[in-house]
Amino acid sequence: MAMSVLICDDSNMARKQMKKSLPDEWDVEVSFANDGAEAMEVIRSGGVDLMFLDLTMPVMDGFEVLEMIKKEGHKTLVLVVSADIQPQAVERVKKMHALEFVQKPVDKEKVTNVLRQYGLL
Amino acid sequence: MNPHIEFSEDQRDCLQEVCNIAMGQAGNSLARLFERFVTLSVPAIGFVSAENVETELQELMGSLMVSAVRQAFFSTHGKEGLHGEAIVVFSDTNFEKLVQLADYHEGPSNAAIEQELLLDISNVLSGACLNGIAEQLEEQLGFSAPSLIGTNIPLAGILDHEQLTWEQAMSIKIGYRLEEIEFQCDMLLLLPKIAVEHLKNTLDFLLEDD
Repeated sequence: MAMSVLICDDSNMARKQMKKSLPDEWDVEVSFANDGAEAMEVIRSGGVDLMFLDLTMPVMDGFEVLEMIKKEGHKTLVLVVSADIQPQAVERVKKMHALEFVQKPVDKEKVTNVLRQYGLL
Repeated sequence: MNPHIEFSEDQRDCLQEVCNIAMGQAGNSLARLFERFVTLSVPAIGFVSAENVETELQELMGSLMVSAVRQAFFSTHGKEGLHGEAIVVFSDTNFEKLVQLADYHEGPSNAAIEQELLLDISNVLSGACLNGIAEQLEEQLGFSAPSLIGTNIPLAGILDHEQLTWEQAMSIKIGYRLEEIEFQCDMLLLLPKIAVEHLKNTLDFLLEDD
């Protein structure tokens, strides 16, 4: 069965760029969320295998999403995709069980490498 | 002449993401200066008119008493390129603590040390953020030296509308907070209408590329 992938970013352009950076011929079903609250709804309604998560967002930011996923015990794997490149931001999201931190702007090579690294490809 | 600036939703979204990436770079520079985590928020894009600039500024920034530093930036490609003014506005900031953190202790007086720190923070933020924006837009910027507008002055006093060279401008507000310390600093970019027209073409080009 195709893996279900959720892209969560408040910018339409960033969501498009993220989708374009997914490897070609990767058998996944992609859905989108505009902010953390929307992403949580999608996750609760069931079966998001992997999420690409922005950090700086209105309504509910990426840190809060990570906290909530942990609290509610969802199995969703999270790759954080952010422009917040402070070493402390990277450290924090990893402590909050994000798999990896990908620096914006993203491209196909960066995303493919990180997916390979975690055996998702 | 229609003073109104047209800006599409796609252009706004694209500019916001460009600012977001630049803000991340500037935030990282600030974090290194103070060895503290910097909390970032979503950049706010709006428009101001010279006529109502004091009221609009008040609505945008909220605080009453501020310290502020200004710095002009211009495109090395010519006067119709990206240009404007960056104003770094400090509010609710505990300067004593900040001076300690940054380990600034040599100066003729506390006020002089505080001013030096204000100028340095502004320089770090404007430089990193504007260069980050310019890089993505494939422009090159030059900067004037930062100058202090004032410390602990009323917000309305940071811009004198009689001295403004534009009627309409785009405002981009980018906020930085330091964790565990009273520090609120907002970078306000003001781009005159003529610079916005240029910016729109560049953004359209980026969007086409999509």
